[in-house]
Amino acid sequence: MQPDEILDYLIPGIMLGALYAVIAIGYTLVYGVLQLINFAHSEVFMVGAYSALLALTWIDPSANPTALVSVLLVAAGLAVSGTAGAATAFALEKVAYRPLRRRNAPRLAFLISAIGASYFLQNLAGKLFGRDSRALPTVFENKKVFSIFGTQVTILQLLIVCAAVLMMVGLDYLVNRTKLGSGIRAVAQDAETAGLMGVDIDKVISRTFIIGGFMGGIAGFLFGLHLQLSFTMGFLPGITAFAAAVVGGVGNIRGAMMGGMLLGIVESFSSPIFGESWRYVSAFAVLVLVLMFRPTGILGERLGRSA
Amino acid sequence: MFIAVCEGAPMRAPNFFYKGLGFAVLKRRVIKIALPIAAAALVLSACGSDDDDDKKKDGGSSAPGNTGGGNKPTWTIGFQAGLSGENAQLGINEENGARLAVEQANAKGDLPFTLKFKTSDDEASETKSVSAAQKLIDDSNVVAVIGPAFSGPTKAASPNYAKAKLATVSPSATNPSLTNPENNFTAFLRGAPNDNAQGGGMAKYLSKKLQVKKVFVVDDKTEYGVGLSKVAKDELTKAGVQVVSDSVPKATPDYGPISTKIKNSGADAMIYAGYYQDGAPFAKKLKEAGFNGPKFSGDGTNDAQFVSLAGDAANDWFLTCPCADANVEAATKQFTEDYKKRFNTNPSTYSAESFDIANLVIDQMKSFGAEKITREAMLTKLKGASYKGLTKTFKFKQNGEFDGATTFIYQVKGGKIGYMGDIDQLVGG
Repeated sequence: MQPDEILDYLIPGIMLGALYAVIAIGYTLVYGVLQLINFAHSEVFMVGAYSALLALTWIDPSANPTALVSVLLVAAGLAVSGTAGAATAFALEKVAYRPLRRRNAPRLAFLISAIGASYFLQNLAGKLFGRDSRALPTVFENKKVFSIFGTQVTILQLLIVCAAVLMMVGLDYLVNRTKLGSGIRAVAQDAETAGLMGVDIDKVISRTFIIGGFMGGIAGFLFGLHLQLSFTMGFLPGITAFAAAVVGGVGNIRGAMMGGMLLGIVESFSSPIFGESWRYVSAFAVLVLVLMFRPTGILGERLGRSA
Repeated sequence: MFIAVCEGAPMRAPNFFYKGLGFAVLKRRVIKIALPIAAAALVLSACGSDDDDDKKKDGGSSAPGNTGGGNKPTWTIGFQAGLSGENAQLGINEENGARLAVEQANAKGDLPFTLKFKTSDDEASETKSVSAAQKLIDDSNVVAVIGPAFSGPTKAASPNYAKAKLATVSPSATNPSLTNPENNFTAFLRGAPNDNAQGGGMAKYLSKKLQVKKVFVVDDKTEYGVGLSKVAKDELTKAGVQVVSDSVPKATPDYGPISTKIKNSGADAMIYAGYYQDGAPFAKKLKEAGFNGPKFSGDGTNDAQFVSLAGDAANDWFLTCPCADANVEAATKQFTEDYKKRFNTNPSTYSAESFDIANLVIDQMKSFGAEKITREAMLTKLKGASYKGLTKTFKFKQNGEFDGATTFIYQVKGGKIGYMGDIDQLVGG
């Protein structure tokens, strides 16, 4: 790799990292309030992508939409995928987790329930939409917007990074500045005491799922624009995003953002340096390295204390 | 995350819930637990019925009583390929072709036996291939198998087929190592020239016709991709072309970096050795990266799905295949019409080859007359067979390799895969 090629890999890395970060937040938020890994989150991601596919196919954009139409289509895609993701996560919590929580089930039961829900959603999508890959309709032509030191930045890259940054800033504000945010932090710190202080724990947990699902769904749509859709599309990004959450310190929102970015960039640079097959090896080597020196992750503190 | 549930199984209405269970007597709590379990069991039982499915399609039962209509014995041709899951379109093309041949043979009414067709879905997965093969091996009526479609699953299942002495004739598993005598895949026959022919054809076209100086070869780390890329690399090097290469495991989340790498490498052309599922997003990113040289891929990418997934980005891609285009060739005109009528779609990659192979198998079966067909005898017959099909003449070498090496080339133009013809003729010897 030549020094002048660094940006060629950094920019796609940032884009992928932004996607990982947004998905990782879904894992971290749920872990923060419930201390469990929501393994069905990767399917929330997939549902977001497929609902956008349904909506956009229904609208049926022409092959060369004008700029204004493109903006509207992207907005529609974002809205639909976000809503579908939020709805899926909400339903997931109601069906797969709440009944267990009511009965004080052991932690392992939650894990099994999550995996079950994940299988169910995945195969449902496979049955409904077919097991072959699908591509989203052309919403806009992925033109170059501008270039930095000779490296072109495309509309899609800009869109993904902007959407991710907006969502992350919004979430940071929500958690740190609003009443719901303090509720989330209170439940994360000590659910029982928070309950005694008048926080409606069920409501807070439910809303946490909705927020994470909303972001996950949108990430699914953006990922679909970037690559393509399949019923198993959630698995690999989901696992990597989960690793990102752990790198950053699972339960810590800013940590998840950092971890996602880090893994995305590492993966992107592993291609010219070690070869494309070493993508995941590099990413997981980073995970192991970080955990060796900071077993709780880079910002290894829980949602309740920091963030 | 890893289990895939059956496709196309009928959902049954759970009406016996209300009849036999005696709702009122059961405590509420029991019902609460039992209902979801019962419902789940129903869904599952509705699933495990792909045999029923086959029966319906064939219009009869394939019970191992060996008596179909009248006094004729009943024999079954098996079929194994990925019919669901990734890259399933290639398997479906082949299934349709073979099914059509079986249906036509039965319809003619001159067979000394009744012919059945039994499919087994391996989801194009190496891990599922062995059990998919076992399903056919266990059915004693199956006398020969068409498939498996892909090289990886073929490699996994071939030892079992060899042990059962059940002949498999694959229309499209083209990895050269499959016929290596060291592997002892004694029941494997190949109905297509292997990747040596395809890789060699690509190299020939690139070096002689397009006269490129440097080629970037990318494989997808599957049995098929690695085999094809190795042959292409060797042949290109022999022709004096500089070769750079890398592997991108399939389902990678971003083809951006590799596309940039290809662009920055200064290569004049690139070859992707992999299937359409990953070829499509790769094509998109290559276009974004601004790589304008000739782009090549093999039969794994030669499918209309590639174009529909990649859109504009697929334009100008060259796709090689040991398969001729049934929609264009004169010999397959009647076949194309029948196929369209039966399946409501045009034949695609390997449909006609699979049709031919099914007819080859039926032809050999006929030579037994009304006698009992054993698997071993069938295998011997097939090995010595010579059959002129619509697409080409099928003959096999001692090790099961296809005898012949014609490779055809296609190019995507305006959203369609256009047929160019025989590579040797295009290059001129």
